[in-house]
Amino acid sequence: MPPIVQVADLRKRYGEIEAVRGISFDVQQGEVFGMLGPNGAGKTTTVEILEGLRKADTGSARVAGVDVFADPSGVKQRIGVQLQASAFPEHLTARETVDFFAACYDLDVDAIGLLRAVELDERAGQLQERLSGGQRQRLSIATALVNSPQVLFLDEPTTGLDPQARRNLWGLIQSIRRGGTTVFLTTHYLDEAEVLCDRVAIMDQGRIVAMDPPRKLIGDLLARGFTKPVAQQQASLEDVFLDLTGHELREA
Amino acid sequence: MRQIARLTAALLRAYLRDRIALFFSLIVPLMLMVIFGYLNLGEFGRVSLAIDDQAKNSASDQLTTILKGIDTLDVTESSTDAALTKLRRTELDMLVVIPADFAIAPARPGQTVPQVTVYGDDARPQQVAVGRQIIASVIDRISFAVTQTAPVVGVKDESVQGVRLRYVDFLVPGILGVNIMQLAVFSVAFALVADKQRGVLRRIMATPVRIANLLTAHVITRLFIATGQVAVLLIVALVLFNVTIVGGLGPLVVVALLGTLLFLTIGFALAGWAQTENQVPAIAQLITLPQFFFSGVFFSKNAAPEVIRPITNLLPLTFLNDALREISVQGASLWDVRTQIAGLIVWIGLGFLLAVRLFRFERF
Repeated sequence: MPPIVQVADLRKRYGEIEAVRGISFDVQQGEVFGMLGPNGAGKTTTVEILEGLRKADTGSARVAGVDVFADPSGVKQRIGVQLQASAFPEHLTARETVDFFAACYDLDVDAIGLLRAVELDERAGQLQERLSGGQRQRLSIATALVNSPQVLFLDEPTTGLDPQARRNLWGLIQSIRRGGTTVFLTTHYLDEAEVLCDRVAIMDQGRIVAMDPPRKLIGDLLARGFTKPVAQQQASLEDVFLDLTGHELREA
Repeated sequence: MRQIARLTAALLRAYLRDRIALFFSLIVPLMLMVIFGYLNLGEFGRVSLAIDDQAKNSASDQLTTILKGIDTLDVTESSTDAALTKLRRTELDMLVVIPADFAIAPARPGQTVPQVTVYGDDARPQQVAVGRQIIASVIDRISFAVTQTAPVVGVKDESVQGVRLRYVDFLVPGILGVNIMQLAVFSVAFALVADKQRGVLRRIMATPVRIANLLTAHVITRLFIATGQVAVLLIVALVLFNVTIVGGLGPLVVVALLGTLLFLTIGFALAGWAQTENQVPAIAQLITLPQFFFSGVFFSKNAAPEVIRPITNLLPLTFLNDALREISVQGASLWDVRTQIAGLIVWIGLGFLLAVRLFRFERF
């Protein structure tokens, strides 16, 4: 099977700043591919180019068999997106929001079914602006699924969520992947990448500096003789937090 | 088509749930009308009008008699010189000079039409505006009666006697016009700039929706709201102020919708240009405020200083108000206000070009 995302020598410059400096990578069908990197590394620019929202200066990109630069609309038909720092139209309920996006694709969908898939069917009649942060992220994923996309792009999906909501979203992403959808996500939480991703690309200053399965990257580092100054504890503070407060979602 | 209908339904539903938007599109215009309607009803009184009849023929007699029969007018006969002196002392609101060659007859080719000259006191713009409308309306009716083939004298007299223009009758079309402008410019600019800033437009642009369809849905939503607004204002005007609307409601709504379309293009242009919500009110006021005062909303557009009148006469709201007022007060048909409609259409074209130039969805 050919890769579902193929990127070759992609470059993008904003004035003096070269945000993306010639990156190449493939994403295989059915995998969860993570793009990691500090803020300003060029992750969002890369993702938005692949989503057909920005034009690259040079290079080529194919998503789901479509040339992104020649046919951005064709790409948009085949992918689902969750953008960073975006919002939904105000004064619509969760269900109406899903229907609004279905109208954008000119498709009829089972809005309640989609909301059920993200455990939001009980909130179908609630105005979206009254949803909690975690609920809104799940609504965002529901709207990204209205066109049964081949690739789902998630840009920092768990930023700003509490640990319970993060775990819940991880579960949702894993179940979407089990359904056969390729997931392309960016994050700067390394534990998230370790749990979710089959492969990760680490970006820094516009370049991909490493790309492999998380286990292999860690193995390679250890093979080079790396040791932590302090021995790894068997549990983290987050484990303590979740042990004390439970895994259930906390939502009003 | 179906996509447009679905998007429109969603936008309309959201708009109707937005209390603040509804407040500005319905309550504020109503308040404007009620305040100005009541404020001026008491002190407005009658319009004092002098007539200098230089013709002294049956036609001029007929005109004078009709004007004397109108309640709102306080008519005296006087020479031009004496009346002009009184006008300067603000003892008189208006002077009508009927020329010696005055006649009521269909104009023959090559023959000049007799010119009735109307002087007005600039210090009493509201009275002058109402007076001018009444005189124009009376002359229209007399001319109209003559050019008809069938004998309509009886009907004519009755309808002319029916002209009792009060300030509120003059005011209502102006209020309609100004609210159409405010609704279209502000509601579109605020809503779209907020959507732009919050990232709503970016999210929508990540779908393959046709931009033309989305914009059309926004436009149709506002046309619905504008129609509702015009209906509410007219009902209140009719019930509360017993306003006389001589012309048809159909032409009134057609012109109102043309006006909405025009100001929507300006709203879209503004929304395209502005990067933050804070920039919207400043520029929107800059666009709307001069028209608020110089386009004949609360008093005649002729109250504007003479130097800038060539400009104020070409303002979008001037065309809209003139057309609405001629329909409402003088019973003009759409054909009668074709000049104003042409003006509106030219502005719609200009606004559309500006909006297309400034509104780039791809940038969001």
